[in-house]
Amino acid sequence: MFALAAMNGIVIGAVYALAALGVSLVVGIMNVINFAHGELYILAGYFSYLFASVLGVNFVLAMVLAVALVFLFGVLIEITLIRPTYGNDMYSLILTFILSIVLQNTYLLIFGPYPSKPPNWLSGSTEIFGSFYYGNQRLAALAAGAAVIVMVFLIIKKTWFGRMIRATSQDRGMAELNGVNTTRLNMLSFGLGCALAAAAGVILTPVFPVTPNAGVPVALTAFVVVVLGGMGSLWGCVVGGLILGLVENLGASYISSGYKHVFNFVILILVLLTRPAGLFGRREA
Amino acid sequence: MGDPVTDKRFYLILLVAAALLSLLSLGLDAYRLHVLIVCLFYVMMASSWNLLAGYTGQVSFAHAAFAGIGAYTSGILATKFGVNPWLGVGIGTVMAALLGLGVGVLCLRMGGIYLSLTTLGFSEILRIIITNEYEITRGTMGLQVPGLITVYSKPVYFFIMLGGALLTLIVLYKLIYSNIGLNFRAVQNDERAAASLGVDVVRMRVLAFTVSSALAGMAGGLYGHYLLLITPEIPSLDQQFLVLSMTVIGGMGSFAGPIVGAFSLEILAEYIRGYGEYHVLAFGLVALVVARFAPNGIIGLATRHFPGRAKPGKPVAVAAG
Repeated sequence: MFALAAMNGIVIGAVYALAALGVSLVVGIMNVINFAHGELYILAGYFSYLFASVLGVNFVLAMVLAVALVFLFGVLIEITLIRPTYGNDMYSLILTFILSIVLQNTYLLIFGPYPSKPPNWLSGSTEIFGSFYYGNQRLAALAAGAAVIVMVFLIIKKTWFGRMIRATSQDRGMAELNGVNTTRLNMLSFGLGCALAAAAGVILTPVFPVTPNAGVPVALTAFVVVVLGGMGSLWGCVVGGLILGLVENLGASYISSGYKHVFNFVILILVLLTRPAGLFGRREA
Repeated sequence: MGDPVTDKRFYLILLVAAALLSLLSLGLDAYRLHVLIVCLFYVMMASSWNLLAGYTGQVSFAHAAFAGIGAYTSGILATKFGVNPWLGVGIGTVMAALLGLGVGVLCLRMGGIYLSLTTLGFSEILRIIITNEYEITRGTMGLQVPGLITVYSKPVYFFIMLGGALLTLIVLYKLIYSNIGLNFRAVQNDERAAASLGVDVVRMRVLAFTVSSALAGMAGGLYGHYLLLITPEIPSLDQQFLVLSMTVIGGMGSFAGPIVGAFSLEILAEYIRGYGEYHVLAFGLVALVVARFAPNGIIGLATRHFPGRAKPGKPVAVAAG
């Protein structure tokens, strides 16, 4: 039972890390928290359901399309809602919160309260370390999540775009002086943040079907991961995501499954009490 | 601060409005009276939320949750221990204040974003606890509670809620137009300048958050004992969203804004209820447009088109006590 719960924790932890990377990226650069993050995760789930299950598109293509569409939607949100609020963090919180409620109710109107699920990528299961059988779909989700995380790290550490992102999150004014178009960078990185939520969504929806407000706990977990890891820290997201995934699943199997999201909140309170800047946080964060 | 003339005008306006509402209530049927009572609940909620968002620049997503704390504390005390509901509402208010103080102290050192994140988590956790602890809270079935008065009478409840709303508005007025209120606005306008002039920024934020949470707790307690059934609907995020929309659409940071917003949105919600449960979506779209294009809401638009006296709402002066 321990091994199974731990395995579940690692799989879901990888996806939490992915969702949290999107939040952390945007916080680091723009100091904006997107409260509609969870709804974009759900949106990608619905897109991939729509393309793969309803229109019969190949599931890989459906996923790529879903992520691309959510990226464009994110760029649109940035241009129409976030850009006018630069310098007023409070307003972006209010706007994205309203947006999250609007999206939830729109999903409810279109898809109804029932769970929707895109098809599995793989069937069957594999024996792990000779101790238990584990669904191939979940293993594939873990691999896909890890692959996307590695890709994000490569983009941020190795490419020119990544260098602009790092420069801007360290010192916006200095980056501008060196010719970074920070307005355009905000737009692209907000879109990228949304696309990461979407990636988490398309990876996890075959395992956990989407409902109109299933995004709330995912977004909350991503926020706790970001606080735990330290706002703006990328490694913090990976470590924090795995910690939360493990705590949630071990707690659910040994203490109480009804309270699995409460454990996250306990962690949040502990972090705020003892190390408010997070594990890898900058002091002034 | 309390300029005596302004004080007099405030109480006069409040008195006239209360008298007009009371007169109006005499001519209403039971359904319309119910709508009016719900409006008064939202006046309490939106006005006290405005103290945070409009006057100290903090966004709490747990305002409905604190109303739920007030309602469930009082409801559980009444059903399990036979505590008098009036006393229960008082205890519920204190409970909300204490929890507000705890959350405030925990997050406000770290700044506004942390408060928003933690309060959102707090609402969600409260929802999970209420749903899971079925034996105590009756979960989604709702907790049946005794009323504040032995013989049920809507007009009497109207006057109780009116009293609650007046009390809330007077507390807020006293706070906002005092030295403390001046400090609040100083913190909102420029945190660093305020701190440099000796304003304890964190303490001001925690104070505003605690008072606002306590007022929400009281509103929730009164409302729960009026409905006689306390459900997880009271502390839900949808409810939080309605309170937020009323404040934003009415006009954040102005005293009258949340009152205007509460009345107009609640009455509108009743009108469009006939077309199905789309009012949340409709309000969301309206709130999004208002927040984006008219951040000062209806009141902001009104003062722009009818520029009268300078409103005492949002002076820009940064002064400190």
